[in-house]
Amino acid sequence: MNTQETLLWINEQFANTNELTQKTLEYESKNISYMYIKSLIDKELLQKILLKPFFEMSNMDQYKLYVQALPQYQEISSKEQALLEIMNGNILLEIDNELLLIELKLSKNDAVSSASVEMTIHGSQLALSDNLMTNINLIRSYYRQPTLNIEYMSYGEVNQQKVALVYDSEKVNEQALKLIREKIQRVDKQLISAANQFNNYLNDKRFSLFPQMVMTERPDRVIYNIGGGKIIILEDGSSQSLAAPVVFFDFMITMEDDYHTIVISTFLRMLRYLGFFISLLLPSIYVGVTSFAPEVFRTELALTVAGSRMGVPFSSFVEVLFMLFFMELLLEASIRLPKAVSATATTVGGLILGTAVTEASLASNIMVIIVSAVAISTFVIPVNEMAFAIRIVRFLLILITTIFGLAGLTLGFLVFIMYLVSLDSFGEPYLRVYNYRKSKKRSEGQA
Amino acid sequence: MSRYFYYIILINMVANIIASVPYILLHFYNDGSISAMIIATITGTIIITVYAKFFIQFPGQTLPDLLKQTTAKWFYAPLIFIMAVVWFFAGMITLITFTFLLIRYLTPEMPIVLISLSIILSVILGCFIKTDRVLYTIEIVLLLTLPLIIYIFLKAYTDPNINWDFVKEAALYINQMPNFESFTASFYLFLGVANLFIFNRFFTIKQKFGWKQIITIFLITVSTLFTTYFVPIGFHGTENIDHLIYPWIQTSDSLRMKYSLIERVLFVFLLFYLCIAFLSMLIHWHVSVEYLKYLFTFEKIKYRGFNLGIFIPPTLFTLISTYFVQVINEYHLFRLSSFLNITLSVFFPFMIIVFFYIKRRMKYAKNTK
Repeated sequence: MNTQETLLWINEQFANTNELTQKTLEYESKNISYMYIKSLIDKELLQKILLKPFFEMSNMDQYKLYVQALPQYQEISSKEQALLEIMNGNILLEIDNELLLIELKLSKNDAVSSASVEMTIHGSQLALSDNLMTNINLIRSYYRQPTLNIEYMSYGEVNQQKVALVYDSEKVNEQALKLIREKIQRVDKQLISAANQFNNYLNDKRFSLFPQMVMTERPDRVIYNIGGGKIIILEDGSSQSLAAPVVFFDFMITMEDDYHTIVISTFLRMLRYLGFFISLLLPSIYVGVTSFAPEVFRTELALTVAGSRMGVPFSSFVEVLFMLFFMELLLEASIRLPKAVSATATTVGGLILGTAVTEASLASNIMVIIVSAVAISTFVIPVNEMAFAIRIVRFLLILITTIFGLAGLTLGFLVFIMYLVSLDSFGEPYLRVYNYRKSKKRSEGQA
Repeated sequence: MSRYFYYIILINMVANIIASVPYILLHFYNDGSISAMIIATITGTIIITVYAKFFIQFPGQTLPDLLKQTTAKWFYAPLIFIMAVVWFFAGMITLITFTFLLIRYLTPEMPIVLISLSIILSVILGCFIKTDRVLYTIEIVLLLTLPLIIYIFLKAYTDPNINWDFVKEAALYINQMPNFESFTASFYLFLGVANLFIFNRFFTIKQKFGWKQIITIFLITVSTLFTTYFVPIGFHGTENIDHLIYPWIQTSDSLRMKYSLIERVLFVFLLFYLCIAFLSMLIHWHVSVEYLKYLFTFEKIKYRGFNLGIFIPPTLFTLISTYFVQVINEYHLFRLSSFLNITLSVFFPFMIIVFFYIKRRMKYAKNTK
């Protein structure tokens, strides 16, 4: 590799910008030249560790040795690598006709933020940062094992984003690791801006409803997943990480479960599953019972429901769809709106869904209760992605119940279970009952 | 023995309540049902033991696999085809029975084709999933439904309306000579083990099957048979019990949960038993489709690169069963299911001879190697 040629080539690549800074220093028979991108470099550091020693040291050999001893020093293997590293915030240094790379990146995004998506009362309040190295630093300092393995790669043809696979090489699920490596090789995208995108890119199915990986921003959850043999995907510039392979139950736990006493966490878990079933089934049960088989409920309750529906001009499924539709709109609106406006949206929406709709007898009072119960219990599902999937399944179940009645609802629910069971997440069955007592040794095979 | 082994057996036992078994047993209540049940329990436990012991010798191998290795094509091809038909009919009878139940008790004004289609379409998806996934589905659904079903049984036993004098009176008919039709009906409870023909594929690690397993299975069957037969008698008495078409549905309708949201146990019972019936059909049709896959290579049939072949058996199943749902009435259904019971209880003991033959040939093959 010819030094002058490389420098010329790199200069050519940056011909259209004025960001590249090039300087030559000559002082008392010493001379170096260097180039860097101004906006990526920590200037104080540059002055302190490269420039000051240059003027202080007696000869070139000493300076060269000093530079090579720096922890930020990096060897050059090809000119493409040199170019990429310059864009990563390195300084390309030329000493005695030899090229050296020194990393002096200035990161403004390495502050560890506080958890905003997965909140807990107990437990750590920290979340991952947007900076890959900070995140790996966090993981390494919480997970002290020499077997912790990190594979770096970069993806996105245009933006060349750094991606890291993190796993414990002793505990990792080998089959899943192989699959992930294979699939990640095939990722061919122009731009990759967040780790979450891999959830779709590593999925072979075109239409899939349930997430194949679990998204998390909590370092403690990342550690927990690595310890459980999962593989973590981190990406520079994304404060969310992905863990794979997952099973359905991963979406129903919070990190807090381990921080409570056993009775409390069992209670909370039961509450969560109850919420799951309510948010999934309650609207369909309402449709099935009111429209198909009012005699199922005890007489008093059936009469109350019928009385509440007096004056409502729709059949029950129109009523349910109408109310759920507005609830979904309200949910979606309140996420995207600027904070100043969102208060208005919730007030107006609350008024519609609350009292006005029953006074106008467009929906029954019981329907309002059901919709709010459904909304609340959807929020109980700890991982957001699962809650989104459940919202869609809920509409499908309402549709099935509208056509086939209560028996259809039961069968639809069974099909839902069967669908979950038939799913795979990187070679692992998505939903099955595990026997944790003998998790290591299987007592039967796999057909 | 792996827990999944019990599920296969358990489903058939629990599902019998909604099939024609209680009807047939109670029909002959004074004509040898009890002694037939006792004989069926003994022979049934024996057949479960023989089947299980046979299949644990060949871990991970299905019966069609074994037949292909040891017998000639003229023998195994018709045999597997007959078995596919038998399993399909077993599933279809459950389907028709439950369709009748639903139209009679839950949604009388719905068209019968629509009801049966809802069941068929949900079960048919099971024909596409893998064998291990079928077992996982069974486990999860059982976990969700079985507690409530057991609660209903306990409620029936502790209900003040159950009259134990009726039960004692009925038990007196033990001295009658066993009735063949009752025997076949109660023998049906034990035939879940035959699903091992395909499901043995899942048990690739050698299992243990000893006295502990035999006694567990024996106790479960005895209690199931006892519940199936005596609880309806306890509620309805022996007088005219032979005219009840769905004894267990009537029994569940005699139960009330006074303070619950749903007062009549009937609806809970129906919807939860729908899950059990679903599982039973899922197993039967899955096995049937797997048999057919051994005989025909459906993957070869393609239309513009789209794999059309795998849709052939489910489509056939759907068409045939929707046809039968429309033409059959309840009388035919009972004749058909008791015919099926008789065929099965002749067919399955006969299979033991085939087992012996396979075992000898496999041993011979091993020795010559």
